[in-house]
Amino acid sequence: MYAARAAAHHVGTYTPRDNDVSANFKQLKFSIEARKFDVALRLYDEGALRKELRARAAQLPGGLDGAIRAALQRDDAPEAERGLMVFVVALARDLALEADRQLADVAAPADVRAAAGRKFLEAIWRYYNLVDFAVTQRNAQAATTVRLAFDEAEGYVKAATPAPDRLREPLRRIVHALTGVIEASSQSARRNSS
Amino acid sequence: MTEAVPPTWRLPPVPALLIAVLLIACAEIGGASMVRFKLELTRWARGTMLARPQIHGLVGVRDVDEQIMDEALTRFDGGLRLFHMHAEGMGTIIILTTMVAATWAPTAGARRALIAMLTVGGAGYPLGYLVWAALIPFRGVEDGKRLAEWLVWIPFGGTTIIAMWLLVAVLVLQLRGGRSRTAP
Repeated sequence: MYAARAAAHHVGTYTPRDNDVSANFKQLKFSIEARKFDVALRLYDEGALRKELRARAAQLPGGLDGAIRAALQRDDAPEAERGLMVFVVALARDLALEADRQLADVAAPADVRAAAGRKFLEAIWRYYNLVDFAVTQRNAQAATTVRLAFDEAEGYVKAATPAPDRLREPLRRIVHALTGVIEASSQSARRNSS
Repeated sequence: MTEAVPPTWRLPPVPALLIAVLLIACAEIGGASMVRFKLELTRWARGTMLARPQIHGLVGVRDVDEQIMDEALTRFDGGLRLFHMHAEGMGTIIILTTMVAATWAPTAGARRALIAMLTVGGAGYPLGYLVWAALIPFRGVEDGKRLAEWLVWIPFGGTTIIAMWLLVAVLVLQLRGGRSRTAP
């Protein structure tokens, strides 16, 4: 009986908060939408997003930082949004990669891997949700693939009998689709600049 | 037709009153301590959780772990707040309900049983929130809640609920008997 989920006493609800990067992303997005490029540039230069972007520069398309900054300087909203989207998509993809890597460790019990998988999915969605609209506009097929794979993955970890092993397949589809979005966006950026 | 004599309220026994007032005092100390030692409490809870990564499901990835920690710390703070509020409320409820029991219970035995149940149940129940908050860093949010539920909330809360319905029954019986309590 003790193992049963304690639900008799309501102890409030928890709403996940933005982290520094997602909060900074939203500030940038709203500044760009309002066409306040001077504000957006300051928020970008001083914010957590750029710091994180620079820290992860090795895993990102070359020149992403410069491209976002240059777009903000010349009041180019679509290009700035594209650069920010690529960065956030890369964050989500890296989380999916790490989740796949950790789930491969079969030494851990299934319920522990399922719990970890659920937390990874929540973190992936927190980032992807920020750019879902932008991804859909540029690559509707990839956006649909990510959403379907995400729904499937959630089903595996939220089922009465979680199946963490099966979670790896939809995670790989997410990684593949998001990598495609990053590569396609980077190629189109190079074409536009040449 | 004779007019009923207005009832005279009997005071609950001093130990029941002492426990109720003590509970309210603990609620106030708890509330003040939450503010005064907020940083220290958060630091302690965070350190205790970081020392038990497996219990909290920490995976070593900042984007995942910071959310797990944030939720646990929010719940920890929520547990302390709920203790503060429930201890204040239940202290008052003990005073009120034991007064009703002392005045309207039909026999000395029933009066003693009702007062004991209302006092013990009412004083123990809010402690469940304190137990939950203290367990979160060691056992996690859900496991801590399960323990608090079975060790404190269900036994003490259940006692209070039963005592309340017995009190209702006592009053209904008094009403059906058409008796108005008169001054002793």
